[in-house]
Amino acid sequence: MNVPRIHGIVLSGVGGQGVLSLAQILLEALRRSGLHALQSEIHGMSQRGGSVHAQVCYSEIPLTSPILDEGGADLLVALEPLEALRYVSMLRMNGHLVVAEEPQMDMAGYPPLDDVYAALKTVRGAHLVDTEDLARRLNHRQAGGMALLGMASKFLPVADAVWHEVIAQRFEAKGARVTEKNLEAFEAGRGLIHDPVGA
Amino acid sequence: MVQSTLALGVEAVGCAAFDAGIKGAFGYPGTPSTEGFEAVELLIHGAQDGRVAQWAANEKVAYDLAMGMSYSGFRALVTMKHVGLNVAMDAYANSALTGVRGGLVLLVADDPGMHSSQNEQDSRRLAEFAWLPCLEPSTVQECYDFTLRAFELSEALQVPVMLRIVTRLAHCRAALARRAALAPAGLGPVPASAIQDWVLIPANARRRYVDLLEKQPRLMAEATPLNRLVPGSARRGVALSGMGRAYFGQLLHENPALADLPRLEIAAYPVDPGLEQAFLAQVDEVVVFEEDYPVLEERLGLRGTAKVRGRLDGALPRTGELTPRLLKGALGLEAPAGKAAAALELPIRGPRFCDGCGHVDAYEALQEALAQVGAPETRVFGDIGCYTLAAQEPMAAIHAVVEMGASISMAVGAALAGQTPSVAVIGDSTFGHSGLPALLTAADAGVNVTVMILDNRVVGMTGQQPSQALDQVERMVRGMGLQEDQLQVLLPVPRQHDANVAAVAAALRHPGLSVVVFRRECIQSIRRGVLKDHDRQERERCTTEVCS
Ligand code: SF4
Repeated sequence: MNVPRIHGIVLSGVGGQGVLSLAQILLEALRRSGLHALQSEIHGMSQRGGSVHAQVCYSEIPLTSPILDEGGADLLVALEPLEALRYVSMLRMNGHLVVAEEPQMDMAGYPPLDDVYAALKTVRGAHLVDTEDLARRLNHRQAGGMALLGMASKFLPVADAVWHEVIAQRFEAKGARVTEKNLEAFEAGRGLIHDPVGA
Repeated sequence: MVQSTLALGVEAVGCAAFDAGIKGAFGYPGTPSTEGFEAVELLIHGAQDGRVAQWAANEKVAYDLAMGMSYSGFRALVTMKHVGLNVAMDAYANSALTGVRGGLVLLVADDPGMHSSQNEQDSRRLAEFAWLPCLEPSTVQECYDFTLRAFELSEALQVPVMLRIVTRLAHCRAALARRAALAPAGLGPVPASAIQDWVLIPANARRRYVDLLEKQPRLMAEATPLNRLVPGSARRGVALSGMGRAYFGQLLHENPALADLPRLEIAAYPVDPGLEQAFLAQVDEVVVFEEDYPVLEERLGLRGTAKVRGRLDGALPRTGELTPRLLKGALGLEAPAGKAAAALELPIRGPRFCDGCGHVDAYEALQEALAQVGAPETRVFGDIGCYTLAAQEPMAAIHAVVEMGASISMAVGAALAGQTPSVAVIGDSTFGHSGLPALLTAADAGVNVTVMILDNRVVGMTGQQPSQALDQVERMVRGMGLQEDQLQVLLPVPRQHDANVAAVAAALRHPGLSVVVFRRECIQSIRRGVLKDHDRQERERCTTEVCS
């Protein structure tokens, strides 16, 4: 019997970076694509700068478990390089990692940045993005999150129109200009992934 | 009408309570129960149909408020986290004897794995302890459906019904189908014939206790339809409750061969022993998957007809959350490996004070003042809130954190044992929650205790709910008979540092009780404008009335 697989996305970052809001966009986009989807989050003290992580599971079959096992995620989206390393073991052997290079170093014992980047580069299927540079180019301070979402979108069964719809809805209240900026960042991210193997 | 939205499990409970026609919701914030109250609060404020949603000073008060509403014939929801139920224990246990009029549902959110709690206690034990029914959903939709059911049960059985969820379900977001909301419908107050039931003087209480015990078979009969026995051909079975049910259900999709295992699926307590017996008759070995305590495991083990495996025999760890991986391990299923983790050591990124938080200034003043009075090694009694973050290195400014309000009483106890100075640090909301009676005792004890009240005007930790003690702290303290020289109000900002150190040092030297209030609003609440309306109203009132 061929049972449809359960897919998983792990999102990680630091409190205040918008991990949970990215997770909600993913959840909504997958749901609108006709899939069963669940999201779980650990956000006890998120606004106070601790590690935050969320998981999104999706499948063609109904889901009841909101958490993934180690080796159960197809995709890891990390808004911070150290917070990416924390969850690498959650990825399947052929899973992908999209990660922002800009570090949040306001903590004790942050390892040397070069070591962090080197460790990330050993992960097969890792895609690093220089979010600081991207933000400068797009003249949009918070472009990073949306760009990562754009990169992630290359590995997910969601149509372009659905992404645009969900993003537009998310920023509706903040006006047309903010929506446009975010769509621009999303597209910039999409442009960074050329070979979406295993999509 | 069915309306589909996305909701957290705990929000689904709040939505269901609204849709069940509650007249009021009461609670005290505590992760992961907080958003349940906030969901129903949002609906109630939007509906403007005379319903109320109100945070209470503590969980016991919240429970009493809900009981009062039930007494007058309306449905009510009361929300708290597991350790909050300890605070409400008196009201809760006795409410089993009075019974209810309007349906009363108690949402308790347990926190296995202690994501943001002091302990891992299992509220199912407290349902059993009070002889009350407990429903345990395992999905977001069940959170909703079971809450509706709980209100019906509560009115049918005339007892409060507990709804127990855990962090993973509370903070799981999924599609939720909602029914049309009912308007609150009052049954009228407790009828004259039943007034004695609600007066728990010993003669009535004895009678009501017998009534409650006699009701148990009915409670069990009402719970039974939610529990089920799924037969299978194997001689090994599984017993599942709560997230155990959710995780096993998922595994079953991935490994259809698991359908051979007979399953006992529990969603409601008390469990009918007949059902357990029927299940045990089919198996030689059972693995029990439940969250927190080995409740089912012990019950099944006592029957002695099958080998029972779980947290007690080491098939699962004794502490911590249940996970899909743990299920796989206990069932001997293979779990795929993930990519190799980095060889780097990854330090923990714990929560810390927000930049510019006034608590930091308050602690710095305290530490310097303790040094100034020659007692830098003083052990400081702390409490529960954002300011608990000071227990971490490098600040390490508090040295005990036990439960809401413990700081003041423990400092008094230590002072009675001879510690001097003896210092307690407590927040304004925690002070209102359970610091008040402790301060009353401190005022009476006649020992050298310094109480620092860190007043940030909100419950900072759980997302800036307004504090019940809002702008009332000095008045409350004075009301305990403290003289002007025993009370100081300080502003915790860097430019006041020297003055603050001197003031705290003076308080530490003061031979009796002294209270230092450090007041500065939480930065997050300022940013979100939580108290803006309140403050504007206060300013307007001040120019028109007394203050001008
Ligand atoms: S949330 Fe408020 S009280 Fe808590 S650390 Fe931040 S500023 Fe301080």
